[in-house]
Amino acid sequence: MTVEDVKRVDKGLALMLANEAIVRGALEADVKVVAFYPGSPTSEILDTFGDVLDHFKDYKMQIAANEKVALETVAGASMAGQRSFTSMKSVGMNVASDSMYSIGYTGLNAGCVCLIADDPYAHSSQSEQDGRYFGKAAYVPMIEPSTAQEARDMTKWAFEISEKHKTLVIIRTTTRVNHQRGMVQLEQLERTPFKKHKWKDVKGQYFTVGSVARSLKAKLLEKSAAIQSDFEKTKFNYIVPGTGNVGILTAGVCFLHAQEAMQNLDVTLPIFKLGTLSPLPEKKISEFLKSLSTLIVIEELTPFLETQIAAIAKTVNPDLNIVGKRSGHFSEMLEYNVPIVEKVLAEVLDKKPSMDYDAVLAKAEKLKAILPERPPIFCPGCPHRGTLWSFRQALQQLKIRDNIVFNNDIGCYSMAFLPPNEFSDSMLAMGASMGISAGMAMSLEDKVIAMVGDSTLYHAALPGIVNLIHHNSNVTIFVLDNSVTAMTGQQYNPNSEFDAGGHPARKINMEKMFEALGANSVTIIDPYETRDCIGPIKAAIEADGLNVIISRRECALYGDRLKKVAGEKIIPSENIKDTCRGIYACVKEFYCPAITIDESDGKMIIQRDLCDGCLECRQVCPVDAPRHMEVAK
Amino acid sequence: MTNASKTYNIMFAGVGGQGLMLLSAILGKAAVDSGLKVMTGEQHGLSQRQGSIYVHFRIGEPISPLIPYGRADMMIAMEASEALRYVEYLKEDGIVIMSNRITPSVTETEKVALDKEKKTKYLTVEQIVERLKQVTKNVVLLDSLELALQAGNARTENSVLIGATVACADFPIKAEEVRKAVLALVPPKTVESNSKAFDLGKDAGSTCLS
Repeated sequence: MTVEDVKRVDKGLALMLANEAIVRGALEADVKVVAFYPGSPTSEILDTFGDVLDHFKDYKMQIAANEKVALETVAGASMAGQRSFTSMKSVGMNVASDSMYSIGYTGLNAGCVCLIADDPYAHSSQSEQDGRYFGKAAYVPMIEPSTAQEARDMTKWAFEISEKHKTLVIIRTTTRVNHQRGMVQLEQLERTPFKKHKWKDVKGQYFTVGSVARSLKAKLLEKSAAIQSDFEKTKFNYIVPGTGNVGILTAGVCFLHAQEAMQNLDVTLPIFKLGTLSPLPEKKISEFLKSLSTLIVIEELTPFLETQIAAIAKTVNPDLNIVGKRSGHFSEMLEYNVPIVEKVLAEVLDKKPSMDYDAVLAKAEKLKAILPERPPIFCPGCPHRGTLWSFRQALQQLKIRDNIVFNNDIGCYSMAFLPPNEFSDSMLAMGASMGISAGMAMSLEDKVIAMVGDSTLYHAALPGIVNLIHHNSNVTIFVLDNSVTAMTGQQYNPNSEFDAGGHPARKINMEKMFEALGANSVTIIDPYETRDCIGPIKAAIEADGLNVIISRRECALYGDRLKKVAGEKIIPSENIKDTCRGIYACVKEFYCPAITIDESDGKMIIQRDLCDGCLECRQVCPVDAPRHMEVAK
Repeated sequence: MTNASKTYNIMFAGVGGQGLMLLSAILGKAAVDSGLKVMTGEQHGLSQRQGSIYVHFRIGEPISPLIPYGRADMMIAMEASEALRYVEYLKEDGIVIMSNRITPSVTETEKVALDKEKKTKYLTVEQIVERLKQVTKNVVLLDSLELALQAGNARTENSVLIGATVACADFPIKAEEVRKAVLALVPPKTVESNSKAFDLGKDAGSTCLS
C-alpha cells in the first residue's frame, strides 16, 4: 500500500494519494514537528504522519485541540529552530488566522509550512470558502499544486522559501487535488535524528504591537517584494506554449481540466500555469498578456485571479478581452470539471464540444428518475441514533417540541437536521452552538438546547460554555461523547487516552471539568440503554440553569476497531418475527441502514452483514422483537 | 492515435463500507506494476457508512482526475443501484460490471414499510439493468455473494467483481497482473479464497461478454 511508498528510502516512481505525497515531500524536507486538527479533505495527511511516526521516530507529532493551536504549535517549533508542518481544511484557517496574521508580521525561523484545503462544491464543509485571500491579506506567500507530483514537489519547495525568507508559507489545495491519486517521482529520503535545541542558540523575537508592528510592516513589504522576485523565476510558474492569440491562465486542478478540454477540442492554446497565488509573478504575467487578444481565466470559486489579472492587463494590454466569471462564462458556484471548461473553450473558439454533455446529462437524469435517494446517515451501531431517539421521546412526553430552540454543532450529529430527527434551528461553525445559545437565551421565551460532540467541545465550544455558565444562562447542553473525532476518521482528541500514532496522552475528565466550571448539573447517560435515557433528559430540560447531559458511548466504527484488535467478534441481531407486530418504530423513528423489510410478509429483517449488534432497535421496539443472534460474524 | 483514446476510464461505485478504496488500490497496483500510468479522483469525504461513494479511475494518459460525462469505458458497481446513480459517466456501449446486491436506503425502507396496501416495493435489479441497457448492451450482472460463497468466503465479493474486469477484450491490464495485485493486497489468510473468487468472476464475465 502507499504508506510503504511514504516510508521507502530510495528514489523512484510511486502511485500516491496527493495527501500522501505531501507527507512524503515534508519528510524529504526533514520536517521535525507536525501538529494537526483533522478535517476533510486533509485528514489523510494527519493519518499518514500518524501511521509512519513510529517507523521514523525522528519527528514529533501532536493532534492539536484545534487548528489555531496546531498552527501555533508548529510556529513555536519553527521559532525553536525545528522545521515544522501543519494542514487544515478551509474553515480551519478561520480559526487559525488570528495567529497567522501576526506570524506574517513576526516571521519565523526554521522552515514552517501550513496547508489549507478549500472545498468547492462543499463536499464536506459548511461553505465554499475561498481561502486564497488569506495569503494576500496577511502578506504570507501562498502556492498551489495541481497534481500529486506537484503536491510533493511544492511541499518540499515551500520549506526552502520559508527558511530563506523566514516566513510561514501556505500551500493551498482543493478537494480534487488532495483526493487525487497519481504517479509521483520520489527523491532519496534522507532523515536526520531529532535533536532539541537551546533557546540561546536559535532565539529571535516574535513580538508585534504598536510601533513594533509598524516597523515590522515596513520590513514585511520588503520581504514580500523579495519573495515576488523569486516567484518571477520559479519553475512552478510556467507557460505551456501554444498557437494563436487566445490564451489561458489557470492554477490548481483547473489546469488539468483545461488541458484535457483542449485535447478533446484538438486545440493548443498557450497556457500560463500559475504555481504561486501570492505574490503573483506580475512581470511574467505581463509578458504573457502582451501577446494575446483574448485571455480565458479558469479558476473555481471567486474571481480571485481574474480581478488581479484585469488590473495588470489595464496597464500592459488595455484591449485584452478577458473571459471568466465577470464575462458570465464561468460560475462562482460549485467545482469545475472537463465538460464545464470544454464548453467555454468551445464557445470562445467557435467550435463544437467533443460530446454533447448536456444531452448525456439529460438522458442520465431521466434514467435515474426511479432511483431512491441515499441520504447520509448514522452508521449501524451509532450511539447518536439512540441519543436523538431518547431526546425526541423526552420532548414528546414533555409536550414541548414547539417550545424549544435547538442549536446544533459540527460533527456526525449535524445529521440531526435530517429525518427522522429534523432538529437543528442553527448549525454554523465549530463550537458556535454555545454563543448562539447565549444570544437566544437572552432573547427567547423558549427552552434553549445546544448539542456538541466531544472533539468540537474541546476545539472551540469551551469559551462559549464558560460564557454561558458565567452569565447564569438557562441552557441545556448535550455532549455527545464518543471518544474520538468520528466524522473525519476517528482520530484521537483531548477526550482520548491517546495521541498521534497511538502514543499515550492524558484524557480530560469531562464531567469534572463541567462541575469545576459550575454547571448546575452533569448527568451521564448511555445511549445503548436508550429507554433509560429519557428520564434524565427530561429532568435536564425541565431544570433551570446550565444543565449538562453527557451521552457516553464510543463511535461504532471506533468500537469495531477496538473489538478487532481485542479479537472480539461482533454479534449481529435478528428480528424475531413471531414477536414482531409490524409497528415499524424501528423503521420510521430510527433509520438504521441494517433494518429492511421482508416483502413476503411485510416484517422487519435485520441485514446481518451490516448489523453492529448494538440492540438500540430492541430498545426502540415496543414489543422487544429484536435480539442478539447466537452466532458471531 | 490521440492521447484521449489511449486512456481507459473506469468508474467505481458503491456504498461506504464495501471496500471500494481497496478495490481501487488493487487495480492501481496492477496497472502500475504493468508499467501503466494511473490517476484517480477519489471521494473520501466523511466517514459514515452506507453513503453513496465513487472513484474515478483512469489508466493510460489521463490529465484530469475526473472522467468527463459519457466517457467511462467501464463501470464497476459493488451495489446495483449505485451503478445507475453514476450512469452519466458511462460511455455508450461501455461495460458495466455490477453486483446484484442492493442495499436499500432507509428512506426507501420507510416507504415500503408504511404503505398499508403493500403496493410499494423495493427497486429491483431488473429495473436497474433495464435502465442501464438504454446506454449499453454490455451489462455483466454478477451474483457476487453466491460466487464468493462458492469460493469459500463471503467476503471475497470484490475479488469476484475484479475478476470479471479481465474478461473484457480491451481491458488494458493483463489478467495475471490483476490477480497478483489482488493476492498481494488482500489479508494473507484469505489468499486462496480470493484467488478462487477472482477465477469465478473471470469465468462469469467471459460468459456474459462472449
